[in-house]
Amino acid sequence: MSDLISGAALRRLVDEWIGQGKRVAGPVLVKPDLPSYVYLAGGDRFLLDGFVRPVNSIKEFVFPRHEPICAYRFEGKQVRIADADAQIGDQIVIAARPCDAAALPILDHVFNWDCADEFYNRRRRATTVVTLACSTHDEACFCTSVGLGPAATRGSDAMLLDLGGGEYEVRVLTEKGRDAFAGKTITSDRIASEAPGPGKRFEAARVRRYVGEHFDGPIWARTTLACLGCGACAYSCPTCHCFDIVDEGNLNGGARVKNWDSCQFVTFTLHASGHNPRSAQPQRQRQRIFHKFRVYPDKFGDLLCTGCGSCGRNCAAGLGVLNVLEAIERDDGEHLQA
Amino acid sequence: MAETEGFEPKIVAFVCNWCTYLGADLAGTNRLEYPPNVRIIRLPCTGRIDFNLPIKAFETGADAVLVSGCHPGDCHYTSGNFHARRRWMLFRELLSTLGFDMDRIHFTWISAAEGRKWQQVITDITERTKQLGPYTLYAGNDGKADAAARSAAASRPVPPRTFEGQDALRASARRLLEAGIVKVVIGHGERGAPVFVTRPDETHQLAWNDRCQANLTTYLKRKEIRALGKPAIVVKGCDERALVVLEKESQVEREHVHVIGMACEGVGAARCTTCDVRTPRYADEVIGQVAGGAVSPDQRFQALAEFLRKSPAERMAYWAGELERCVKCYACRQVCPLCYCERCIADKNRPTVIDTSPTLKGNFAWQITRAFHLAARCVGCDECTRACPAGIDLRLLNLSLARAAEDQFGYRAGIDREAELPFGSFSLEDKETFIR
Repeated sequence: MSDLISGAALRRLVDEWIGQGKRVAGPVLVKPDLPSYVYLAGGDRFLLDGFVRPVNSIKEFVFPRHEPICAYRFEGKQVRIADADAQIGDQIVIAARPCDAAALPILDHVFNWDCADEFYNRRRRATTVVTLACSTHDEACFCTSVGLGPAATRGSDAMLLDLGGGEYEVRVLTEKGRDAFAGKTITSDRIASEAPGPGKRFEAARVRRYVGEHFDGPIWARTTLACLGCGACAYSCPTCHCFDIVDEGNLNGGARVKNWDSCQFVTFTLHASGHNPRSAQPQRQRQRIFHKFRVYPDKFGDLLCTGCGSCGRNCAAGLGVLNVLEAIERDDGEHLQA
Repeated sequence: MAETEGFEPKIVAFVCNWCTYLGADLAGTNRLEYPPNVRIIRLPCTGRIDFNLPIKAFETGADAVLVSGCHPGDCHYTSGNFHARRRWMLFRELLSTLGFDMDRIHFTWISAAEGRKWQQVITDITERTKQLGPYTLYAGNDGKADAAARSAAASRPVPPRTFEGQDALRASARRLLEAGIVKVVIGHGERGAPVFVTRPDETHQLAWNDRCQANLTTYLKRKEIRALGKPAIVVKGCDERALVVLEKESQVEREHVHVIGMACEGVGAARCTTCDVRTPRYADEVIGQVAGGAVSPDQRFQALAEFLRKSPAERMAYWAGELERCVKCYACRQVCPLCYCERCIADKNRPTVIDTSPTLKGNFAWQITRAFHLAARCVGCDECTRACPAGIDLRLLNLSLARAAEDQFGYRAGIDREAELPFGSFSLEDKETFIR
């Protein structure tokens, strides 16, 4: 037995959520060929098929690209500080991809490691994630290589699976998911079949060992020469979570804000002295791979990658995690034979 | 627009120290009365007024902005005002394309003897701004980002279409590497991504097909590539224009680069439909032959002309909607062959010139800066637009400045190797229709 909802009922449900004052985000074609997660004005426009992956990720709904932490005002010789508004209402992400949802438990570790990030946690608690299992994939996808798949449920509160004919099976996974769909589904005996995922492209355990052994290896320069040093990969990545804190204001006061940052920028590690420990782009690319497949796993026993392939799709130079890891796979293979 | 009851506009005047400031001073000592709505910021010269300053004034709540300096010929530094005039001829076009209210942006020449003109100008601007009402910058985005169509048709990947000339390209690269003429060949791979071929037996990696959109000249500035030794670079006619500008700006020593030109019938980019540089003109060798396409300026700027049919308010609403999506990944900057500053002004933090925040304010400031730093330099390769993960059509901003440079100075960046660069020079005949 399964729970079923029609596409039309789902769209009405989204309208209902919005009517209840919840913010609902989902994938929308903001331009032809440009699916993107945005906050929805209604339930009629979000995508339920015909796309592989939005260009951005759902991390921005729990970890916004720009977030004021506090406001400050100079009053004579005093500085008056006011907390940023702490009111975060409930929100629901609809039709998220499983590779996006899987990133949230990964981010939970980081934002609750040596200190609990109240900004992140607040949003996270207020967010319900309803995923839409993938029925298609493209050549950039590699979820199966990092232990996930087209219908991986990690991080989802509920999952929708396409039954065809505009109907969806609803798999409720958590309390939040149950609340979202309570009384909205009908019982059915149809069970959705899970679509095949992309073929496995590399062995994560092998990568983890390799990068540890080849920190100074020639592979980094060889495989990342094309990298131009922008942040398109990190900013579209569901798991990249670096941020910068800056004060923006004038003589009267301003705000302390948190903005996304990327390890691919020259300024990311630039010291005030002018020294830069990662002075060349290959070192910065190595950092990215290293963090995802070695540093984070060593610390939290998990990969910092969900195989969504956004880095590859969004790279103007045709790079991405997958290219580098495939090169590692080849390189390691050659070494083993030798 | 109706006059807002009791509204007192804030007007920020950026004036030069030697003429307009003294003109204002003269108005004061002569007891000439004028509205107290103007805040004067004194700078050495109009030529020193960074275009970011008026934007900052608007950001912080100005309702109108005035730039004023010495009459032509009167500049304390001989030619600062001529440079300012030339800069503003183009800058106004950019602001107009972005949908700024041009009725709120004023430029005047007021000498030290023209206290009365100062009085008149300030009175007029105050009156005019009162009629316009308070200025809300970057307004109009109604948050309907999801207004596009609901269904997406997932397009099936089509294999690349290989062009004639691929074999000749590979043979040429092999010859260059074997003879030791170059150490690396920078070309496109099968899927259009850049490849760096250093060995003759690797030249099969080079492709010449309809995926070869990337302008590879951007790699000439990268130190990791420079470290490889003398490069050969594969360019299309459009890419070559960037090379011409880089050479003009002393960024590339032409004799240290071997240029392989590809005669091109189009690689499927928007610019290809109006291309008139199909055959590279200054390459060391050109592979293939295509008929040259003569294209009228009207055709080249058609996309811009269509966009400019929108009203200024509609334009600003459009850009607010687009720049809402900008995450400041700086892909537009990094991919640009002509963005070669060691440290970009956007990365400067002592002091911070442009907000690093990816807010509308920070994003407008960044895109205005990016576009204007490329004024009369941008060659229209559209790499910024191709690289933008948010799909923002930056091409329109670049086109507006390119058209202004062509209209005003008859200059097209990267076309004529001998042509004088418009910025850094000036003409006494420059049109000052916008200056009072």
